[in-house]
Amino acid sequence: MPQPDRGGPLAGVRVLEITKVWAGPYAGKYLAHLGAEVIKVESMAQLDEMRAYGGVDINSAPYFLSINQEILSVQVNMKTEEGLDLLKQMVAQSDIVIDNIRPGAMERSKLGYEDLKAIKPDIIQCSIKMWGNDGPLGYQTGYAPCFAALSGLTALVGHEGETPKGMNIRYGDSTAGACAALACVAALHHRERTGEGQFIDLSAVETMTSLVGDSLYAWSVTGEVPAADGNFHPEMCPHGAYPCADGEWLSIAVANDAEWQALCAVLGADAARYPTLADRLAERHALDAEIGALTAGHSALDLGDRLRAAGVPAFRSASSLDLCSDDHLWASGGYRMVSDHRNGSRPIIGPSWRMTPDEATIERGAPLLGEHNDYVYREILGLPQDRVDDLIARKVID
Amino acid sequence: MSGALDGLVIVETAERPCGEYCGKLLADFGAEVIKIERPGGAPTRRMNPIVVGTSAVFGFFNTNKKSVVLDLANAADRATLDRLLARANALIDDHDEAWAAARNIGQAEVAAAHPHLVHCAITPFGQGAPAEWQSARPLNVINAGGWAYHSPSETPPDKPPLKGAGRFLPDYESGIDAALAVLSSLHRQRRTGAGQFVAISEVQVQVNRIDCVLDRMLAGEVDPSAERSAYDMGGPGTSFACKDGHVFLFMTTKVHWQGLCALMGDPAWARELPEDWLEFHCTPDRVGEFRRHFSEWARDQRKMPITEAAQKAGVAMVPVNTAADLPHNEQLAHRGFFQDMGGRLYPTVPYKMSATPVELRTPAPSLGEHDASA
Repeated sequence: MPQPDRGGPLAGVRVLEITKVWAGPYAGKYLAHLGAEVIKVESMAQLDEMRAYGGVDINSAPYFLSINQEILSVQVNMKTEEGLDLLKQMVAQSDIVIDNIRPGAMERSKLGYEDLKAIKPDIIQCSIKMWGNDGPLGYQTGYAPCFAALSGLTALVGHEGETPKGMNIRYGDSTAGACAALACVAALHHRERTGEGQFIDLSAVETMTSLVGDSLYAWSVTGEVPAADGNFHPEMCPHGAYPCADGEWLSIAVANDAEWQALCAVLGADAARYPTLADRLAERHALDAEIGALTAGHSALDLGDRLRAAGVPAFRSASSLDLCSDDHLWASGGYRMVSDHRNGSRPIIGPSWRMTPDEATIERGAPLLGEHNDYVYREILGLPQDRVDDLIARKVID
Repeated sequence: MSGALDGLVIVETAERPCGEYCGKLLADFGAEVIKIERPGGAPTRRMNPIVVGTSAVFGFFNTNKKSVVLDLANAADRATLDRLLARANALIDDHDEAWAAARNIGQAEVAAAHPHLVHCAITPFGQGAPAEWQSARPLNVINAGGWAYHSPSETPPDKPPLKGAGRFLPDYESGIDAALAVLSSLHRQRRTGAGQFVAISEVQVQVNRIDCVLDRMLAGEVDPSAERSAYDMGGPGTSFACKDGHVFLFMTTKVHWQGLCALMGDPAWARELPEDWLEFHCTPDRVGEFRRHFSEWARDQRKMPITEAAQKAGVAMVPVNTAADLPHNEQLAHRGFFQDMGGRLYPTVPYKMSATPVELRTPAPSLGEHDASA
């Protein structure tokens, strides 16, 4: 069955992904949400762990459903020579191949860049690894919070004077996926212009390092090693999250004296005690405590409304409950419904972009394992049905 | 060697780090990025630290760009912008809708005058959001998007949510998504000749980055809550102080635990914990007990030798690297992640590209350095 015309800026681009867990699938999701046809290569023998987390049914695993919208699934047993041969036939019909499997695994399966280039000279291959594809530490594997610690990012996140705990333990994988997608599309431009493909070697650690680039560059210029600094900002004060009623917090960022005076007017504080930024920075801990005492009894939403009306950037610090019930996110497509094999429909997180005209449609939820076997084997590869039946019977398609 | 985006021309009217980072990513890929600066210069030129009259913030976010000074409220300068847009492929902006409308560079005006152009507008909550939401600083964005509330993991209820690393963490994330969307749209432009309006919501970028945690709550598979720990994974993993800095330990399996016990010389306290406690008996009490003992042990270790030994023992314990550590890291050195330009070390990009390696060619421009070419 032909696939629906979803439109979008990457319409007509075909991506194969040999990915698992989060970073690789997130790259595939981003490209699919931009209109590319993304085919996930899977098998019972090498299942994406996300199909196993949080349930027993590999076709309705919550983590998997949360990421893989508009992804097609084809089963190939990559542990068989015939399976690898089929995969290579798919490569010949693709523009981009993304993987985030163990270092060396693609090469051992004769799916390294030189191998793929021999099959499809202008192929773009992107490999996502902890430390990148080679080098003295290239053999290592690990977890996102370790990448963040190694990268220099964790050292910069923590309450002042405490051990730097870093961002939430979930931070990092999705950003690595987004950077992989970015590099792939850049490579598409080079191919469009010159006809040449290339190999993209993405380091998850360096992705995190790149997110603190200005801090690292500043160190190179000033020689001062940056450290975890709570909510300190050298040009804004007050600058932080302040306690409100019911355990809520309100983020307030004051950039100039006019905003400071407006903040004091709303809170009933005396702005003249700290008239300039220098005064406020010099006493910032005392000031934070005073502001906190004044915000403490208020509803974060109401106080945020009043402060913004007075010209002070102030927004509630959102909990997961706040995010899930956020009217703006529901109304603006930040959340949207896709199809779901078990429940009919499922809410998902929408992309960060809106495009006018010709935005890609996002309607189909994550695929069943092998849901698009027919499309890939019969239509793309042009195999006869009896051949496909035979491959299934012999568990090459499995 | 050529860059991946050779031949593409991007005009950047953006003035915040999110838009400037988007422009930098494209410039580092080889696009010609013309930064439009207001008379007196972009606001980022005045951001600390400033050394010898130059902002390190501006210096980092504007490599490989050209600088042209235009006062977009002035008719002649505004006409110059139109001439630049006529030969450009894309426009990157990060101002609110009212600002853009006042300078005749809103969505409708640009689409009418330059139908071939990819026009990207980055705003805190996307186009059409209420006017009073348009001014949101990075701190507000990372709070509104949920990451601050949940960072660090296990933050107690009386400690404030945090802004993230440095001042601009959400700006980097927004810049990445904006650059990806713009490049995708430019791919369409190559094939169809047509432009597009691309609106980026900075808060939505934040929300998207937590998709597989938050979406399970949206779908009702996990209860959303007001708990600060709602994104956490549990387990003993966290940062620990050591003699010369900090290490980060992550452990989930019996193999990790056995490796760590051996590394510590099998202390008696460790034998009190069940061998498979990480997998089946990982209670808060045990995590607390483990951390108390491990902290005492870690305090006397040095971060590099102990983490190197840990790696060999199959334990995911790594140094919490600082800015000063990174240039000495053998892997980053092997990959050439830092580039020296004018005696300064610039962090570059996380992707090595075989045919079009990213290269810093020029430092951030001086104000109006390329006025003549405009």
